[in-house]
This record gives sequence, structure tokens and C-alpha cells, in this order.
Amino acid sequence: MLEVQNLTKIYDGGTVALRDLSFTVKDGEFLVIIGLSGSGKSTLLRCINRLIEPTEGRIIWDGVDITLLSGAELRHARRRIGMIFQQFNLVKRSSVLTNVLSGRLGYVNPWRSAVGRFPKEDVEQALICLDRVGILDQAHKRADELSGGQQQRVGIARALMQEPTLILADEPVASLDPATSHSILRYIEDLNRDEGVTVLCSLHFLSLARAYASRIIALKDGEMVFEGLPAEIDDARFKEIYGEEAIQVEIR
Amino acid sequence: MSAQEERQEKPAKEPRGLLSSRRFIGALFVGILVYAYAWQSTEINLRKLVTGYPDIVHIVTQIVQPDVLSRDKEYQEVLTNFQLPCTDSPPERMAASESEPYLVLSHTCGVPGEPLSVEGFNLRPNTRGTVRWIPPAGTIRSLAHFDSDGEGHFVEGISIPSVDESEELHQIQAELRWEVGLPYASETARIVFDKMLETIMLALMATTLGVFAAVPLSFLAARNLMSVSRPTMIIYFVIRGIFNIVRSIEPLIWAVVFAVWVGIGPFAGVLALGMHSIAALGKLYSEQVESIDTGPIEAVTATGANVLQTIVYAVVPQIVPPYLAFTIYRWDINVRMSTIIGMVGGGGVGFLLIQWVNLLRYKQAGVAVWAITVVVWVMDFISAYVREKIV
Repeated sequence: MLEVQNLTKIYDGGTVALRDLSFTVKDGEFLVIIGLSGSGKSTLLRCINRLIEPTEGRIIWDGVDITLLSGAELRHARRRIGMIFQQFNLVKRSSVLTNVLSGRLGYVNPWRSAVGRFPKEDVEQALICLDRVGILDQAHKRADELSGGQQQRVGIARALMQEPTLILADEPVASLDPATSHSILRYIEDLNRDEGVTVLCSLHFLSLARAYASRIIALKDGEMVFEGLPAEIDDARFKEIYGEEAIQVEIR
Repeated sequence: MSAQEERQEKPAKEPRGLLSSRRFIGALFVGILVYAYAWQSTEINLRKLVTGYPDIVHIVTQIVQPDVLSRDKEYQEVLTNFQLPCTDSPPERMAASESEPYLVLSHTCGVPGEPLSVEGFNLRPNTRGTVRWIPPAGTIRSLAHFDSDGEGHFVEGISIPSVDESEELHQIQAELRWEVGLPYASETARIVFDKMLETIMLALMATTLGVFAAVPLSFLAARNLMSVSRPTMIIYFVIRGIFNIVRSIEPLIWAVVFAVWVGIGPFAGVLALGMHSIAALGKLYSEQVESIDTGPIEAVTATGANVLQTIVYAVVPQIVPPYLAFTIYRWDINVRMSTIIGMVGGGGVGFLLIQWVNLLRYKQAGVAVWAITVVVWVMDFISAYVREKIV
């Protein structure tokens, strides 16, 4: 269980990204966070694995307050939290396999990995993960030779290598076309359904959120303006979240 | 914008068009003045370009026929006697022979200025030769060149040179020279090869010096790393400033400085090119650090990797290929620069080239010029190929 309590993030310039945010995510949920650009979705996800330091509040995951961790404890917490990014964040000049193996860095011997050596089981596991996302044949290509959809699958394979119990997906399909978006989200959905991985996923499009979320929270200017089931978002709610002038765009 | 404002702006546009055309004429006038002055001060002389051309032809023909290969030479000589002036007993003609080479003169005595025909028999066929006058004392003179025919015969008309009269007999020599065996690298080619190797090694050492100093400095000259605090920002500006100053001083000037400091030779060249390379590479490297993509760093950190692992997996792959590419490019530049750095005392093939040019030995200079051309071309090709592969 993930509990976010009174989370506030104020950036150095004084920008308030998150204001007193509290919610709970039960194990095995597929929680989608919606909201406009700049509403604080990315900041929220990055506070959970401490890529961004929260200003105030507590994040309790499986009974441990993540905000209090440091050093090796923090790294040990992070290795069970997979993260998927809008821009994929692959090392473009490295091979696909190396990118996937980097998901294992929290587990392996740091000195051996520093010279590029991974245990044989990890390499085998990486190939299995690549096979699972359907790009085993691309394993030895450079990451930037792949299409956007394929790169995001590498991103998923990298997260899988962490054997995560929680996946944070920050706009995972915002850089992809609609058809590819669905295939990527289905991989995440499978993980959630088959392996019980808890998913926190931010999305732009409400139609996608409705299709995949078990529950939705909506952020506006760093505050939670909605929490509930996908079906509960009607036109009035929609305008509340996205503003009066917004029009719903369907992605099928 | 209101309608009123719009109306006000319209008439203002026309004089502006007139103004800009007046400006254009002014700029044109200033431009003509500048170019007229430049034409004068650079002493451009198109007539000289034509009249001076014959002077260069001789140099160019020698440079395009460099002294690269040589072959062993063999020669054959025949001598016959001549009396100057005539006495009662002029020397006898050479005896004709079936197989031995011999010369026949139209007459065997005479005075300077008289025409004389020299005929040779049984010489080496189809070979170039020289007719020489060998007086009993004084210098030997070349009088004519000839080519023997298929039977080893030639006839050449000469006129008796104005040499001192003497009682002793003069000699007329016909000498044929020809090359035998396989061509081999000339002495010049071997010296140029040695110096060229020295030049490439000089460039290698200079580039290495540049890399070792520039890699650590490049991090201190990267704005994104150094903008964290005021003291680091000061370091950033100081190092950037030094880079810019050092880079703006040409390697030729550094070579003059170091030639005085450590003496003329390749070491001065290494220091001069190394100095310039540190600044040039430092700037390129630091720009690479500045343009690093933070996404992968974020992603690798999120997997639970420690700082060392993050550097190895997210930072190094991003900067090493471009660093390598810049380094090879720099080596390429350094090879090119080191060929001329020798001219001011920096060692290498440039030192040889400038010496030969000063001694007017253009055939040798030609070898150096061609060697430089080939090496620079090959380096350019390799560096382009490798850069394409790794970036």
C-alpha cells in the first residue's frame, strides 16, 4: 500500500507544484493521474521515488516512510519501483540490451557493473524481458535506431528488470501515435493484472484514462480536484479539471 | 490596434522606404571606398600575375617531378684525341672496329670556333649521351647531348670551344648513361619518410597532451555543472577565459615561444600544438558536457543505481563517442598543423621543407610537399570515417 500524506512541493523559484496532497493507492490498483500540463503530475510521480525532494509531507510505502530514507536504503527502495518516462530516457548510444540491463543496477555488484559485467542470469532475464515486449530481435541494436514505440518497450523492459511491485509511468504514451499508445498501455495493464504490480500512471487523454484506470485522480495547479472511478467523470467534472474551454478528444 | 493608429502608421512607411534606399546608397559608397583602399594596400597587381608566371614554371615542374625514386646508373665512355692548334703531326683517327665502340672526328686538329663533326659507332643503342671536351688542364665542358640509334651510332656537330692552346693533346669524350635495375626509394624519400613519421608522432603526442589536460578541465568549463554556486561559477569563467585566450593565439606563435623555451625541435612543436589542443578540445568537450541529456541520468537513478553506476551507464555513453570524435578530428588538425610548425622551429617535416626551399632544391622540396599532401589526405579520410562510425 502506498500512502501519500500532505505532500507539498515548492520549487526554489517559489513555484508551488504540489499543495497538501493526500491519497492512498491499494496494492494492485491501476491509478491514473490526469490533469493539464503543469498541474503537478510529473512532480508527484518523481516525489514518490525521490527523484525530486518533497518539501513537506510523507510517502509511506509498505510501512516505510520513503521521505526519510537516504543512501543505500533509498536505493533499495528505488529498485522495487520501476519508472517509465514520456521521452523514454534511454541511453541512445548504448545497445538495447545494455539499456535493459541497467534496470538491474540496484541489485548487482556496483564494481562489476561499472566495468560492464552482469551476472549471466541477468542477461538471460533481460532477453526474456525483451521477448515479453516483443523486441527480442532488436537486442543488439543501438537504442536510437528503434522507433518511438519500440523505445518505450525497451523502457518497460528496463522497469521489468527491477522486479518492481510499483510502476510509476510518467506520460508513457504522450510521444506516441494512438495505435502504439494502446499497445504500450496494454503491456502495462498486463503487468498490473497478471502480476499484481501497482501502477501509477499519468495520462493526458481522458479517453485513455477511462480505458485503463481502475481509479482516477485529477490534479489542477498542484491540488487534487477529483478522486474516483473513471465512470464518475462527466462533462461537468471534465470542465472542472481541464477548464471551461477544453474539448474532449477521443483516442481509440 | 485601433483604426486610428493604423491610419497614422501608413504615411510613415513611405519615407522609411526612401530612407532605406538612401542608406543603401551610403553603404554602397562606403563599401566601394573600403574595397578601393584594400586593393591599394594589398598591392594587387594583375599584370604581375601574368608576367611573373614564367618564374614559377621552373619551380612547379620540379615540384611535380619529386625525387622519390632512383635507380642505379651505368655508363659507357669513349675518348679520342684532338690537337689544338694543328701541328705537322696531328693525332691519328681512332681505329675502326667490328664490335668495340669508337669515335670518328671530321678532323683531328683545329682552332677554337671551327665546326667539328663527331660520329660514334658500336655504342649502346638507343641511349642518351653527352659529348664533352676534356682539355689537358682546366674544366671539362659539356658540348652537346645526343641519342644513339638502333645500331649504337650517332653524329653530332659541335664547334670547338675557346680553350687554351697547348702542346698536349685535348680529348673529346662521348659518355652514355642509362639506368639499370628496379627503382628504389631515393635518399630524399627516406629522409622525408623519417621526418613524416616524426611529424605524425608529434601530432600524436600533442593530441595526447591536449586530451589529458582537456578532459578534467572540460568539466570545470561546463556551465550546467558549474552553475551550482558562486565560487564554481568563478572557476567556470576563469577557465573559459583561459581557453579563449589560448585558442586565439595561433599554434605558429606558440611554436616560436616554445622554440625559444625548450629549443628548436619536435618537443617545441609538441608543446605548441598541445597548448592549442588543450584549449580547443577543452571548449569542444565542455560544450558536449553542457548538451548532455538528463533523461537517462534520471532513469538510471530511478533503478536504484549508485552515483558511480549512474555515471558509467548514463553519462559516459553520452560523452565518450563525441569526445573520441573530437579527439580524432583534433589529431587530424594537429598532423596538418605540425607539417608547417617545423618552419618556425617546431621540428618535423616542415623543418625539412623550409630548408630545401631556401636551398632552391625544389625536387627535394617536392617530395616533402607530396608527402604532406598524402598524409593529410589519408588522415582526413580516416578521421572522417572513424567519426562517422562512432558518433
